[in-house]
Amino acid sequence: MTETTSAEPVGRELGGCPVMHRDFSGSQAAGCHWQLAEELREASPLYFNTFAQGYWVFTRYDAVRDMYKNPEIFSSESITPWQPDPIYRFVPTQIDPPDHIQYRRILNPWFSPRAIDDAEARMRGLCRRLVEEVAPTGGCDFVGEFALRFPTEAFLSVIGIDPADADLFVPWVEDFFSGFGGDPAGLERMTEALAGIREYWVAALAARRGEPEPRPGDLASHLLHSTYDDRPLTDAEMLDMLTVLVLAGLDTTRAELGYMFEHLATHPEHRQMLIDQPELIPSAVEEVLRFYTIVFGDGRKVTRDIEFHGASLKKGDMVYGLVSGANRDPRAYERAGEFVIDRKRNHHMGFANGPHRCLGAHLARREMALAVQEWLRVIPDFHVAGDVDLVERGGGSMMTLMRLPLAWEVTP
Amino acid sequence: MKLTVDGASCMGHGRCYQVAPDLLTFDDEGYVTIRDETIDVSADLLEAAEDAAGTCPEQAIALIAD
Repeated sequence: MTETTSAEPVGRELGGCPVMHRDFSGSQAAGCHWQLAEELREASPLYFNTFAQGYWVFTRYDAVRDMYKNPEIFSSESITPWQPDPIYRFVPTQIDPPDHIQYRRILNPWFSPRAIDDAEARMRGLCRRLVEEVAPTGGCDFVGEFALRFPTEAFLSVIGIDPADADLFVPWVEDFFSGFGGDPAGLERMTEALAGIREYWVAALAARRGEPEPRPGDLASHLLHSTYDDRPLTDAEMLDMLTVLVLAGLDTTRAELGYMFEHLATHPEHRQMLIDQPELIPSAVEEVLRFYTIVFGDGRKVTRDIEFHGASLKKGDMVYGLVSGANRDPRAYERAGEFVIDRKRNHHMGFANGPHRCLGAHLARREMALAVQEWLRVIPDFHVAGDVDLVERGGGSMMTLMRLPLAWEVTP
Repeated sequence: MKLTVDGASCMGHGRCYQVAPDLLTFDDEGYVTIRDETIDVSADLLEAAEDAAGTCPEQAIALIAD
């Protein structure tokens, strides 16, 4: 992250709000992004960042929540403030109300608590197999050998794709997020990855087209039989939906699993609590989502001139809600800066707020709970291996630990 | 005590029925079933109702004193 605090004029009236010039896309030592978010939040509720074309940054809970809850002012046409006109179009991520809910209605049942209940036994089986594979080895890179594989296989099984295709999807997702965060060097890989994912779904749709009935448990087949305003979905809509599901479903849970297990590896008392009181696992999962929010910030495009939490916004401006800072805002939480494993009334925005609430939230928290249950059952005692400096990917995309070497005693 | 859910605000986070399963449940899309409805809360579920209201990220749940 580069910073130059500057008093240079930015060509418009900012009402005296602090100006910064920061690129959030660079990798950092693990935990640095939250530290930065907290520093920014406590120093000012509002900034103008002159990076890229320039955008507003809101740092506190109330403003971020209000940004999310007013989609008629804050459009999702772009969710990356340094890139107001992105090369991709995610459906329904970048669709505003009222059209948005029509797409969500098609997808919601696939990721509802009921659907996840139905998939739980299968997901537990996938998880158990991965844990039992690594357990006898006494150590692994948790990110590469577990956190990338389990959510990918679980997600693919939920939408009716052979989990073996995880080998194709994982590198595409890595390449996509190398460009998503705003690093120009990653744009080419991002474009190629999008093309690869698209080709995969073009072929999958072609293989299913013309079948009289939707294949049970097969989302691509289900989309071919779905309607929007009583017309079939277009190929473009189906491809945009399937593409964003892959990107959102494979990368995010990996990231949360990495931070959750880093926390458990370094907090044996919390590990023991979850072994002794497994009923605390759901609240521990929610606290991971609050305390280790992987979305550094979320972007929106302003639809009309308006005064908002101290900023004179103009139509077309980009704004950035610093979710990672908001979720640790002491104005919104007691003991905000502490990991409280049995926290109650945890109204965090780790899955965003408003109509774009994460579609996969129920799936993600179930995967996290299953991972804790199955891992602690077989490997109750583990630690971070060796003397390593953990690194996290930049905040322009979602933060994620690049590696997490864990080690444990193997009992013969 | 009564509990009510503002249907327009509910986004299906699912936190309320997770923390108050004896009081609230979900529909096929994951929304709480009692959107835009008001239900009675029995004395033994008061704390669960308060947890549900305090947990909702959308502040869609209101408690109404009798």
